[in-house]
Amino acid sequence: MSNAKQISVFVDNKPNQLTGIMALLKKSGVNIRALSLADTTDFGILRMVVNDTDKAAETLKNASYAVTVTEIIAITIPDAPGQLSRVLDILGADSVNLEYLYAFTGASDKSVSFVIRVDDNVSAAEALTKGGIIQLTEQDIAEM
Amino acid sequence: MEKYWNEEIETMSREDMKKLQDERLVAQVKHVYENVKYYRDLMDEKGVKPEDIKSTDDLYKLPFLSKADLREAYPYGLLAKPLGDCVRIQSTSGTTGKRVVAFYTQNDIDLWEECCARAITAAGGTNEDVCQVCYGYGLFTGGPGLNGGSHKVGCLTLPMSSGNTERQITFMRDLGATILCCTPSYAAYIGETLHDMGYTTDDIKLKAGIFGAEPWTEEMRRSIEKSLGIKAYDIYGLTETSGPGVSFECSEQTGMHINEDHFIPEIIDPETGEVLPDGEVGELVFTSITKEAFPLLRYRTRDLCVLSRKKCSCGRTLIKMSKPMGRSDDMLIIRGVNVFPSQIETVLIEQGYSPNYLIEVDRVNNTDTLDISVEMNPEQFSDKMKDMQEQEKSLALAIKTMLGINPKVHLVSPKSIVRSEGKAVRVIDKRKLHD
Repeated sequence: MSNAKQISVFVDNKPNQLTGIMALLKKSGVNIRALSLADTTDFGILRMVVNDTDKAAETLKNASYAVTVTEIIAITIPDAPGQLSRVLDILGADSVNLEYLYAFTGASDKSVSFVIRVDDNVSAAEALTKGGIIQLTEQDIAEM
Repeated sequence: MEKYWNEEIETMSREDMKKLQDERLVAQVKHVYENVKYYRDLMDEKGVKPEDIKSTDDLYKLPFLSKADLREAYPYGLLAKPLGDCVRIQSTSGTTGKRVVAFYTQNDIDLWEECCARAITAAGGTNEDVCQVCYGYGLFTGGPGLNGGSHKVGCLTLPMSSGNTERQITFMRDLGATILCCTPSYAAYIGETLHDMGYTTDDIKLKAGIFGAEPWTEEMRRSIEKSLGIKAYDIYGLTETSGPGVSFECSEQTGMHINEDHFIPEIIDPETGEVLPDGEVGELVFTSITKEAFPLLRYRTRDLCVLSRKKCSCGRTLIKMSKPMGRSDDMLIIRGVNVFPSQIETVLIEQGYSPNYLIEVDRVNNTDTLDISVEMNPEQFSDKMKDMQEQEKSLALAIKTMLGINPKVHLVSPKSIVRSEGKAVRVIDKRKLHD
């Protein structure tokens, strides 16, 4: 099964930095599915899941941005109390180390999706499959 | 086979060179004493007469000149020829204070260009070469000096001046430039732009570069050599003595041969003014022995370096000076520690970062702060915050190991630090703004 991909961009901690990136993505017709921004006082890391990772990466690289593409796990779970807790329990039971996660809109209004960044994608995916958690592929996200 | 522009001078025996220097110095001191009141007063004050200077052994008796003297004597106070005999003015950039102007007779220009011709020849230049000069033209000596040297050698000269980097590359490609002359920081930028435009070193014919007018490190040399596919040669000079070409590098790349038939070097203790023996680090002092219009005797350059008479594999007998460790005015004193930007540059290149950086020094609560903005390496970029913070920390540690003081390192985007087309601005000392 193919994992979903995330594109990360190095962003200076200065005004108008996101504006430039968004303008480039707009021009190339890339649609953002999920987004999170981690920041320090010096810089930020913008992480996105988009409908066309290759195109987004190429566009941003050509404009001299530092870009990296990593495989992540994307899941979709029911929009109900205790659901995320269940996911974390599954990963915890398998001692999967969680780097970060962020939420995005689900496939329907009864569900919610998450990007999960772990060190070991294979064992995390196995654990989630065994626990009955639906994972989204690259294609699923492109078609959302 | 090593080629010389002026074999007789460049490979002259020590004895003959000393004889030539002795004769020229005696005549020069007389010329200056008779024609430059400012220096005559300094000599009189010290009780030195032209007759006291019988050879280079007596050089130490003469008073020093410093940049402060040049400013005080501005504009005509050190002129040794009637203006009617002068044909050119060049000037310093004036970034560290009031401008300094230097005057040239036609003979001064010819000798200056001869010095540059020696440098171009030492870098392998012949009349078959296409020499692209992208030092600034105008008052700055870089462009006119190398331009003149290139003409003397008979190279096809491209007088590009600095700026418009994409056009530089277009000309470089279309006209098959083989030698590039500019500041090292601009050479690095041209290399970066070449690759950004989608070209490689196979698309250009450059074989050598002659880079000077600002301090640069061995690490930067290797990085430029790789990026442009050339051998990079250092050249040294200053407007006060003529311009580039006071000294130049040969194929050995272990220091610059000083054109001793025109400039006598000394190394002094910058504190006491005492002359130091060859091999010791000190301030470089030059005495111009052939210049007619603006002949400075014992001019303190504020550049710190070492002189060496070790035999050179190129066959030149001209004394060699090390790459200046920095101009004493580039040196920062931070928390009592002497810091040269070149030390920081060395660490950056060793650690795989680009040589584009900005050092900001300030004083907060009576303590000096050192902030260094460094362009992050896109190949090292990680989506994990802790990886990126680890990079900042390990770079800060490497710099601390080099300098002995703790810097704050700030990673910034690739290509976000302004590129220089001439002399790069690497340091902002905010402490000066408070004074």
